[in-house]
Amino acid sequence: MNKHSMTTNEHSHYVPEHTPRLQWAEHAPDVYKAMIKMEIAAKSGVDPVTYELVKIRASQINHCAFCLDMHTKDALAAGESVERIVQLSAWEESQHFYTEKELAAIELTEAVTLLTDGFVPDEVYAKAAKQFTEPELAHLIAAITVINAWNRFGVTTRMVPGHYTPGVHK
Amino acid sequence: MTTARGWRIPAEFGKALAALSAAAKQHLDPLLAELVMIRASQLNHCAFCLDMHLELALKKGESQDRLDLLAAWEEAGDRFTVQERAALALTEAVTVLTDGFVPDAVYAEAAREFTETELAHLIAAITTINSWNRLMVARRTSPGETAWHS
Repeated sequence: MNKHSMTTNEHSHYVPEHTPRLQWAEHAPDVYKAMIKMEIAAKSGVDPVTYELVKIRASQINHCAFCLDMHTKDALAAGESVERIVQLSAWEESQHFYTEKELAAIELTEAVTLLTDGFVPDEVYAKAAKQFTEPELAHLIAAITVINAWNRFGVTTRMVPGHYTPGVHK
Repeated sequence: MTTARGWRIPAEFGKALAALSAAAKQHLDPLLAELVMIRASQLNHCAFCLDMHLELALKKGESQDRLDLLAAWEEAGDRFTVQERAALALTEAVTVLTDGFVPDAVYAEAAREFTETELAHLIAAITTINSWNRLMVARRTSPGETAWHS
């Protein structure tokens, strides 16, 4: 029986929840501590609204269910609109939901997340460099890097979505 | 000739990432760690990281022959051990998340070859090099460049 906020009566036809493969943070506490430090350092230099958009978009691309659960809930709790979250995976066709600055950050997020498709294009980088100061840009790239790292732990160890309470990791 | 982009890695973030790198290495064979670093850097096209880790691997006693074959390890017969092959398969799966998840077969093979503690650190090592790859590719850091941190 799962503990989702939806009642089990309503969704009794849903398949059972999977179990995580590995409690990685317990087996590697120093790794977890360093990840938290990276998180705090990156976050300190990025606008909080943009930060959650970046987290959600990278987690969509990397298919991290646990991370999507956490960051959509945190974004909503912080006042983000359902519309902007829903439209995010099709942002190229819903640009009028976002500011130019947000779009530059989202586009950079995709480029830095999809390195296997080839580099970070000059055009994408230039757009971001126009919207952000160098220290802001450095922290934005750090933020994209750290959500990519969380995504890797989440997906590899099959961390289970659905139980996150907003604000816990704020 | 590539030109590095101007930003530098924020000091606090760089320190934390260095701590992550050190923590990840705790339960990992140093030569295996280099194979993981190099394979991920190949997939992510990080020239700076390849330059650095190829040099480190050779210094630690890795053979040029195995490094030459690393990109085709699956077809390299017995040049890589069963444990190394499990680690390399996991490296590829964890690096290329966009093609869909980390397959059960790949994870199970790694779980057979490594203890849970080793495996947690191996995943951390793969994640660490992926982080360095992102930073260095995003700023077009040239191989051998030293001015990337603030």
